[in-house]
Amino acid sequence: MANFLRFAATRAVFAIITLLIVSFLVFSLMEMVPGDCAERYLAYKNTQGQNLTRDDIDAERIRLGLDQPFLWRWVNWVSGAFVGSFGESCILRVSISQLLGSKFLISAGICFAALVVAYLIAVPVGIYAAATRNPVVNNALRFISYLGLALPNFLLALIIMLIATVYFGDSLSGLFSKEFRDAPWSWDKFVDFASRAWLPIFILGWSATAFALQTVRALMLDEQSKLYVTAARARGLYGRQLLWRYPARHALGPIVNSLGFDLNRIFNELPIVAVILTLTEAGALLLEALARSNDQQLAGAIIFLLTATIVGLNFVTDVALAALDPRMRNSVIGGKRA
Amino acid sequence: MTEISQSAKEAYFTASQGQLIWARFRKQTGAMVAAIILGILILMGLFADFVAPYDPNLAGANQDYTNGAPQIPRFCDDAGCSARPFIYGVKRERSLATNFRWVTTVDTEDRRYVQFLVRGDRYQWFGVTLDRHLFGVDEGKIHLFGTDDLGKDIFSRTFHAIRTSLAVGTLGVVISFVMALTIGGIAGFYGGWIDGVLQMITDAIRTVPAIPLFMALAAFIPDTWTAEMRFFFISIILGLVGWPTLARRVRTHLLVERNQDYVLAAKLSGAGSGHIIRRHLLPSFTSYIIVDLVISFPYMVLSETALSFIGLGLKDPVTSLGVLLQNTTQADVLLNYQWYFIPVLFFVALVMAFVFVGDGLRDAADPYGEHGK
Repeated sequence: MANFLRFAATRAVFAIITLLIVSFLVFSLMEMVPGDCAERYLAYKNTQGQNLTRDDIDAERIRLGLDQPFLWRWVNWVSGAFVGSFGESCILRVSISQLLGSKFLISAGICFAALVVAYLIAVPVGIYAAATRNPVVNNALRFISYLGLALPNFLLALIIMLIATVYFGDSLSGLFSKEFRDAPWSWDKFVDFASRAWLPIFILGWSATAFALQTVRALMLDEQSKLYVTAARARGLYGRQLLWRYPARHALGPIVNSLGFDLNRIFNELPIVAVILTLTEAGALLLEALARSNDQQLAGAIIFLLTATIVGLNFVTDVALAALDPRMRNSVIGGKRA
Repeated sequence: MTEISQSAKEAYFTASQGQLIWARFRKQTGAMVAAIILGILILMGLFADFVAPYDPNLAGANQDYTNGAPQIPRFCDDAGCSARPFIYGVKRERSLATNFRWVTTVDTEDRRYVQFLVRGDRYQWFGVTLDRHLFGVDEGKIHLFGTDDLGKDIFSRTFHAIRTSLAVGTLGVVISFVMALTIGGIAGFYGGWIDGVLQMITDAIRTVPAIPLFMALAAFIPDTWTAEMRFFFISIILGLVGWPTLARRVRTHLLVERNQDYVLAAKLSGAGSGHIIRRHLLPSFTSYIIVDLVISFPYMVLSETALSFIGLGLKDPVTSLGVLLQNTTQADVLLNYQWYFIPVLFFVALVMAFVFVGDGLRDAADPYGEHGK
């Protein structure tokens, strides 16, 4: 147990180091934008008819702490970011966590739902595809997997919109109906949300499903040709019993490990799918911040949160695998890191 | 009989690596078909100026046929058949009768015959100004895939877009390749703490979702930059973000290979590091790297498309698929002008072809693949 805790602790340290590197990257990106927060805010005020001088800018800079050295400001930003506080948006002058709050949760919810759907489809179908010798099934799956790459989610979204508009006269976009858009969360709002969220969930899960299918199938094919499967077969096991009890368990490890990357892939498409389907959540906010309002604080916070979610998921899967997989468990308890 | 198998064996054992890969690649029907399609698309992209009947930008726009439907050449109609395909002429008018809106009518009396190797818009090709195009019509203009809201020919734009995407992809792949080779090479060759630190950075960059990162970087481009500058900057961004996966592979491969017996043997024979890297280590994974490059190509193309689509990437007058798709989410386009989506088919074909060829190459480059089957 002590060994297991030590393993979990090392993993946690690695995760935090990764996040620190990412935060440094994101923070440097935010800083590299020409003109700092004070300048841009006051330039905006100028357009509103207020006349501001150089001194005002300097005073504002001191108020925002922009006169501090770069590294110190990074430390400040990071220590805030780890407890979920990202300061104020440069342009909007509202707390970023307030601005993002529920929107980020909605995004994360949609993305995780997409991930779950992807694996709910990919695992059984992939196992079946690996077991069957039916060439039609195999070729069809191969084609779908390739299409998962060639038809990226946003193109799929566009095509679905095209079909929906032409045949149903409704573009199926948006996350909430009009009456619920600004209402507080309630059961009715949730039902309304669910009735609309299935499309983004399906579209976001699309390429993850295609890739997961390929992974599951390849892993199962690898495992099936191994001797222990032959041995089990020789003992008279067959069909589902054989597949689920032996090769499927072995293939589980790499599949769980690939979850993080699939989430990454889903996040990747989030902003663009959000634009096409006019979703009002963090992905759209990110695009808004970057393309229109040039609000680097907000954009940085979103990118950091997305990455933190992935790192968190990676940490959880690592630890869960160490707890579940006897091979990993042994190597962890034996003191060797896998 | 034995004679033949003997010579076949001899051919097998004396063949170079390239010949072996080609022999194995040729056996895969899917990959071969994809390779042919890919070849055709690349050629059409390279010679886009010649294949496309008109200039892809405003210079080639047909003001009399904006948002025009695709014109499909036909051989026969009610008035009889002709050996030379033709399209109908269109008239555009605005009057009291049409409620002062521009209305385009097809005039089935007015046949316009398709001609080949016609003179048209001028273009630069290796410094030579040419004006020959593969096809055109004797009078007016032909728009196989229709036109957009400014009358720009979507057929011409599609092939120019393929060229742009190939160019962006190539530049991005080259940049990420150089970075991957350098960083992965350093990590793999030195190992130890240098490797540890580099791996940590590589992994951290790999965790950040790429497209949001692209978006953040692309937001730096000032509005005053020209389309060409944007083009180079976007390619550089794609390369700068795309290297970690390949770097990791190079590093892992080097870490394994540098402890192999053949490297030790070379060392014992007195070969220097440079000689070992050039003559032994590099050839041991060139084929893998080529495969990786082919596989990473479609990702570059897709990322560029995504960026341009949301307006952070390339912009007119540079034509890329993302640029072509920029306006397609408008209800007007979705309902009335579905031909805006024709370029999508070409891009799906292009990416699919790359993926199939990459997969085929991967199987072909694997020297152990044959024994397993």
